[in-house]
Amino acid sequence: MATEPNSERLIARYLLGDLPEEQQVEIEDRAFQDKDYLASITAVENDLIDEYVRHELSETERRRFEDRFLASAERRKRVEFARALATVASETAAVEKPAAISWRDSLKAFIRGLNPAGQFALAAIMLLLVLGGAWLLTETLRLRSQFTRLQAENQARQSERQALEQQIEAERKRNEELTARLNQEKQQREQTDESLRQLSETTDTTTPAPRPIIAALTLLPGVSRGGGEKPSLAMPQNARLVRLQIGIDPEDQYKSFAAELRTVAGRQIWTRGHLTARTHKGARSITLTVPAIALKPGEYELKLSGQTEGGATEDVGFYYFSVKK
Amino acid sequence: MFEGQDHAQLTTDTPGQASPPPARQKWTLTQEAFDKLLLALGGDRDSGSNKYLEIRSNLTRFFEWRGCPFPEDHADETFNRIAKRVAEGEAILNPSSYAMGVARLLLLEIIKGRQREQSALTEISNSGEVYVDSDDGESRLTCLRNCLQTLSTDNRDLILQYYQGEKSEKIRNRKQLMERLGIPVNTLRMRALRLRERLQGCVEECVRGA
Repeated sequence: MATEPNSERLIARYLLGDLPEEQQVEIEDRAFQDKDYLASITAVENDLIDEYVRHELSETERRRFEDRFLASAERRKRVEFARALATVASETAAVEKPAAISWRDSLKAFIRGLNPAGQFALAAIMLLLVLGGAWLLTETLRLRSQFTRLQAENQARQSERQALEQQIEAERKRNEELTARLNQEKQQREQTDESLRQLSETTDTTTPAPRPIIAALTLLPGVSRGGGEKPSLAMPQNARLVRLQIGIDPEDQYKSFAAELRTVAGRQIWTRGHLTARTHKGARSITLTVPAIALKPGEYELKLSGQTEGGATEDVGFYYFSVKK
Repeated sequence: MFEGQDHAQLTTDTPGQASPPPARQKWTLTQEAFDKLLLALGGDRDSGSNKYLEIRSNLTRFFEWRGCPFPEDHADETFNRIAKRVAEGEAILNPSSYAMGVARLLLLEIIKGRQREQSALTEISNSGEVYVDSDDGESRLTCLRNCLQTLSTDNRDLILQYYQGEKSEKIRNRKQLMERLGIPVNTLRMRALRLRERLQGCVEECVRGA
């Protein structure tokens, strides 16, 4: 229902009988075709009744009201009801406190209280705030994305660095191992050279130096530590060197070999690396020359290992023999 | 059976005069005439009944707005006249407009009748008749207070705040109500109107019972 004030004044005049017949007919015809308009008439009727009971009508209006509204019993009941309602409403007005106004209501009241220029300025500020907020949000998201990307790059670089460090460490260790092996072999070579030198010193320079006695032993794979007859080397007293010929499987194709000589107790007495195998009449073997002074009478174990193309070391076999004087 | 009164004129016998002309017979709304009326209003009995109630409500309001003392009786009289014309064979194209036309003619008769009565009763003041209803003001107040308690707290607060204060205070109260409920003025008005009608019905029932 939407009635303009002018329309309500017209309805009030109609209800008070203050309109010419043609206008009365117009209002009645409209009321009985338009339910909203009919409701408006009822609402204005109630307002007139309320104004009458509160003595808010002018003298002329009051007379007209009494003439029209007090004619029927039904309307008189409505007037009495309005009188009672006004009495009860005024009783409760004394004890009611005003309702607390929420911050929303205060804000609405404040905005409504502003003049048009003020409302426009407020709207402009709100718009700027919204746009500024949107820009800030976009910028924050962009920077966050950038930060995440940089963090990921940093992480990747750190991982790379760690990997390189590990690689360097591994190379360093390998270098140390190789250096240690080299030193060992140098020592062994020096020992051998010393033996040879000693051998040469004990002979007379005018007489032809006797050829050093070299003891030889052939070691074949398949002999276990505890089983069978182990090869035995009868060491001559004047032997200076011992030549060990180690037979290997022709299928053991390694880049190079290394030999490690130990007592059966596990004490290492001699090692040699970068050995190569030779093939003779279909058989493959490795020849080692060990100083005789290194081999005291006893049981020995020789470990042969091979180096693959990839640099890995694999055990090729274990050879057992004994030395007797 | 419905009985209505037509405007019949009766003459009385006096000695020495010729026999009086026969009195006009009263027209009575029979069941058959009422059924014909319903068919004329709506095509069938059910539609006709709905239309009858709608038009009767409008006619009652019309006579009330025009300040007639017995609006419901006048509405019934209007229907009696329409039913008589339908029984006589008159066709009705637009029942609502037709009824309003008959009601306006009846209103003219009522106004003329009241003017004749008022001129005859000169000792009664021009401010209008004095209507004396039973003095039930106190019981009406008690009934209203009781009926208010049957409303929900929100509805009770609404109706009381809506009618509190006078003039500018009343306007202020209604504005506060609108803002509190977040509804426009017309919606508030309709809510108050519906609650008022509900309360009025409750009060009248209570007063009748008392």
